[in-house]
Amino acid sequence: MARKIIKSKYFVEEDFVEVLAEVPAGGSSPLPTNQEMKVIGRPVTRLDGYDKVSGTARYTFDINLPHLAHARTLRSPYAHARITAIDAREAAKMPGVLGIIHYQNVDQIPWYGSSFLFDPHLRYVGDEVACVAAETEAAASAALKRIKVEYEELPFVVDAAAAMKQNAPAIHEGGNIQGGKPAVYARGDFDAGLAEADVVVEETFTTQVEVHNPTEVHCSVVNWEGDRLTVWDSTQAIFSVRDTVAQSLGLPASQVRVIKRYMGGGFGSKLTTGKYTVMAALLAQRIGRPVRITLDREEMNLAVGNRPDSVQKLTVAAKKDGTLSAMSHWSYGAVGAYPSGAACSWPLRTIYQCPNVKTEEYSVFINAGPGRPFRAPGHVQGTFALESILDDVAEKLAMDPLEFRRKNHATIDQVMNLPYTSKKLLEAYDAGAKAIGWDRRRKVPGADKGRYQRGLGFASQIWWGAGTPPAGCILKLNRDGSVRLIAGTQDIGTGTYTVMAQVAAEILEIPIERIQVNLGDTAVGPYCPLSGGSLTTPSVTPAVADAALQMKEKLLSAAAAILEVPQGELVYQRGEVRHTGDTSKKKTIVEILREMREQTLLTYGARNANPEGYAINSFGAQFAEVEVDTLTGHVKVIKVVAAHDIGRAVNRLTLENQFHGGILQGIGFALMEERVIDPQTGKVLTVNLHDYKMPTIMDMPEIEVIIVSEADTKISNVGAKGVGEPAMIPTPGAIANAIYNAIGVRLHSLPMTPDKILMALAQKG
Amino acid sequence: MEGTFRINGRHELLEFSERATLLQVLRDNGHQEVKEGCAEGQCGSCLVLLDGRLVNSCQVFAAAAVNREITTVQGLGTIHAPHAIQEALVEVGAVQCGFCTPGMVMAAYYLLRHHPDPSEKEIRRALDGNLCRCTGYTKIIEGIRLAARRMRQA
Amino acid sequence: MNHFEYLQPTDLAEASRLLGDGPDEAMIFAGGTDMLSLLKDDVVAPRKLINIKGIPGLDDIRYTPGNGLVLGPLVTIRAIKENPTIREHYPVLAEAADVLASPQLRNLGTLGGNLCQRPRCWYFRGDFDCLRKGGATCYALEGRNKYHCIIGGHPCVIVHPSDMAVALLALDAKVTIYTPEETRQIPLNEFFVRPAEDYEREHVLKPGEIMSRIEVPAPPSGMLSGYRKFMERAVWDFAVVSVAAVFTRSGDRITGGRVSFGGVAPVPWQDEAFNRKLSGLRLTKRSVTDACKTLLSGAEPLSENAFKLPLARNLTGSLLLELAGVPL
Repeated sequence: MARKIIKSKYFVEEDFVEVLAEVPAGGSSPLPTNQEMKVIGRPVTRLDGYDKVSGTARYTFDINLPHLAHARTLRSPYAHARITAIDAREAAKMPGVLGIIHYQNVDQIPWYGSSFLFDPHLRYVGDEVACVAAETEAAASAALKRIKVEYEELPFVVDAAAAMKQNAPAIHEGGNIQGGKPAVYARGDFDAGLAEADVVVEETFTTQVEVHNPTEVHCSVVNWEGDRLTVWDSTQAIFSVRDTVAQSLGLPASQVRVIKRYMGGGFGSKLTTGKYTVMAALLAQRIGRPVRITLDREEMNLAVGNRPDSVQKLTVAAKKDGTLSAMSHWSYGAVGAYPSGAACSWPLRTIYQCPNVKTEEYSVFINAGPGRPFRAPGHVQGTFALESILDDVAEKLAMDPLEFRRKNHATIDQVMNLPYTSKKLLEAYDAGAKAIGWDRRRKVPGADKGRYQRGLGFASQIWWGAGTPPAGCILKLNRDGSVRLIAGTQDIGTGTYTVMAQVAAEILEIPIERIQVNLGDTAVGPYCPLSGGSLTTPSVTPAVADAALQMKEKLLSAAAAILEVPQGELVYQRGEVRHTGDTSKKKTIVEILREMREQTLLTYGARNANPEGYAINSFGAQFAEVEVDTLTGHVKVIKVVAAHDIGRAVNRLTLENQFHGGILQGIGFALMEERVIDPQTGKVLTVNLHDYKMPTIMDMPEIEVIIVSEADTKISNVGAKGVGEPAMIPTPGAIANAIYNAIGVRLHSLPMTPDKILMALAQKG
Repeated sequence: MEGTFRINGRHELLEFSERATLLQVLRDNGHQEVKEGCAEGQCGSCLVLLDGRLVNSCQVFAAAAVNREITTVQGLGTIHAPHAIQEALVEVGAVQCGFCTPGMVMAAYYLLRHHPDPSEKEIRRALDGNLCRCTGYTKIIEGIRLAARRMRQA
Repeated sequence: MNHFEYLQPTDLAEASRLLGDGPDEAMIFAGGTDMLSLLKDDVVAPRKLINIKGIPGLDDIRYTPGNGLVLGPLVTIRAIKENPTIREHYPVLAEAADVLASPQLRNLGTLGGNLCQRPRCWYFRGDFDCLRKGGATCYALEGRNKYHCIIGGHPCVIVHPSDMAVALLALDAKVTIYTPEETRQIPLNEFFVRPAEDYEREHVLKPGEIMSRIEVPAPPSGMLSGYRKFMERAVWDFAVVSVAAVFTRSGDRITGGRVSFGGVAPVPWQDEAFNRKLSGLRLTKRSVTDACKTLLSGAEPLSENAFKLPLARNLTGSLLLELAGVPL
């Protein structure tokens, strides 16, 4: 297969990334539509299902090695402080303690750009002070309490608005605004657009900090063999963990092997290499034993990321006919103590047609745990604000909210001035509106009477999720006719094993049970992108298809040699090569391999380049019906309809999993989840799963998932776009609009908890 | 300390500290099918049956479980001989990352033993102490209904 | 978690002796659902844990018509929730048990433990040297206090976390306290300690004293009762506000009864003035709603919890009307 190396650009989480990638030189030919498929597009059950229901599945958390030592971390009790002295001698003498590391006995290893693995300048409650390895976790925990640390307390700030002020305590030398200035964007002439508008609405929205809280805590197990290090890590990005660990330890990347086994969720918090992994490696090196480090639930809520909060001031101007004439977005958000991103204006810039747009966004340092990408970073917050204000504009224009969106449908990407490979948002509106019964929606907000008041609302969504090269997959055909797929991607629970196997099973026409998938090992699998940004399925499945198609060719060629007929007279069908004329001439996969006297045949498939001159996005609309208990302020989400354009749906079951889970996280963000910090001390108050409230089984509404798209043939052979993030983006906005429709009071602040609703209702009278 | 536990029908003589929870003792002795999500009784990942009662094993001292009958998810069914609940959860697609799944299976088993024909509301109430961050629960409910139907017919 | 000895006495006298040196030395351990978290977070660190589950007779549920209900402290929440006699005669108790924690915690958790559990205040549970833990400050006063009390607070503004206590208070229950020397009985509302009296403890039990039973008077004929708990999350949460109502009626008027509250005060709370007004109250939407307007009128909400007042009033009104079968 001819290949070439290209420069490829893709958007992941918060930024455009440019990479060099080896891709098939001839591009890719689209696979047939799902109607013609036997395995792709079908609700195939998970390959890993029985492993997981039976408890056989082993996660990083479960790894046990002989002589394993256990590490625990001492964290800053102060929001802002400097360590003036540290004395670990007494702790080191405690029973079972094997080693202790801190800033005085470890080289300065750069971290967060301007800080270090152990930085005596502590910038949030939870910042790492020291790490202890001991025979047991309990012994390590006990030792933490005996490390004597003297702190010089510094003034702190845990509120972004306060942190932006001139005299605020400086968290970093360059000041508290990340990058020293806002991110700005403009097109057209905002003031001119404002001048020609008939309706102008200006509103301010706020969103809270949300914490990922995957069920499996962050954890690593590390083991040295000479100069080679093996790291088992619960991660969404094995290659970036490898590179960061290698760089931190001054090792060639080839000497670090990162293995990810089954993993209990991530949602973005496990995209970034943890300090704990490097600390464990340092300790393991010193004590000459493997080390396991796990965070507890409190640390999960302090130190491994969150969705930054936001204050967003939006102005939207429209003409009488409903045409948007100008939009502006001014916002700031707290990224925590170290660099992250709080920007959230992307949806406003792109999803609706508007010639005059300006945005200005500040990412602000505060003395709190640093942010990290969290399922559609920026977009969830931004979409809530945008879709809320658009409903208010529509009301002023006396237009149906859906009609208003249709009127402003964008046909091209207005930021990059590129056409979309596909955009079926209008189809999503139609399908979603029909499924929820949009015509039932009361035109007058708050028109429902009685204790329980119902309302309907909706919101639109845009995301990237096109996938990207480089992504490679090795396909091994074994002598027994079984197939092994090997790739350097990782299944973080989304179903990657299964969708990859489906593609190979479809093309090779063999039962899916004969396919095994090995992922998550940097020493074995060819490079694939991290599993975030809804990248995995659209990046990896085309590589599988490429490998399988090559294998088919290889089998045809082999059979031609064995049968001594021209290859052109042979066809491949259901795991067999047959002669088109003489039906007696046929060879099964097993027969071909037996005759070749080889154990295996190998192919390597690669993801194609994305098409030039197009923007690739996914789209969707979600419709929510809610019921507000006006006596308690409790909001019950009755139903959510999710109608989306996500290219080809590869597996209906795993796709529904992603939608159900994303919508429920959206409900959590809209209605209950919130990290709360004590302003007096800077300590996080919501450090367990009681105080940090995540949705339970009682909160799950009826959900209907409608896919309005077929394969996007311009993207790749498989033509899938990612679904993980699109599933969550519009949910809070749809719920906010439904609540407004139900009670006639607009809530500008997430989460829309009962206290806020009750007080809003009281003010309404 | 030392004590005998009857785990999934087999007697096991185990050593443990007086502070150890049942969860820690199970996991330290190869029963890693019992998961730990919070260690504070707030997530349900560590559910086991203790003398037939559903408990958070992180909320029970091992010392209090000595000489008692403990059933983990592997005591209900294995990968080779899965229980009807386990089969149904796989079939309907109720498993995503799978970390909460053993706890879910235990809660479902406990429910169906007492209520072979639960309503959807009863299923929700029975699983309201089990957190799942991935699936959105819908298919878990569906799987339990399917299992209940099959178990009644069996 | 510090080292401790784990002891399992087989009678009350021995348990009492073991507990005699106070909570720094020894604490009772029963269901463990709260104690394990407290130990783990180092909120408490006794040298001995006294598991009283081996003491016979403490998990009885006995009902005698005319005399009422006797509950042992080791009765599990699940047993209360599912006991047919309790469901029939004291719906308020069964309902309170039904909305408490999660199924598996109800299997472990006991009535005594529920009444004696420590506050859920995030400052008390967290890494704060707060007033209740011997420090100088109640951080919630100037801090984040949405879940804290609106009445009866100062100098510590916790809310009492128990659901069972609220229901039992409305039922006018009594608590029996055992020591080897004497056994005394006190009304439940005297069992709880207000912060103004002593902000370091929530109940009156002294070292060596053990709650040995809870008695609930026989229900008057035709008694209506119910429990409504408002949680921020639909389940498995502590009450933001909860209300228990117990009353009798004649025609469309209440003839007597009692309403009690959780989530509003550091102890399970009763508004005496409101309870006096209940007698004779007409069971119409209008008069009940009007009566509720003055409920908890002495409340002084904190910066973030003014909503609890309308919430408590709304919940009370709707519960009374619901129990009376009056459409809302």
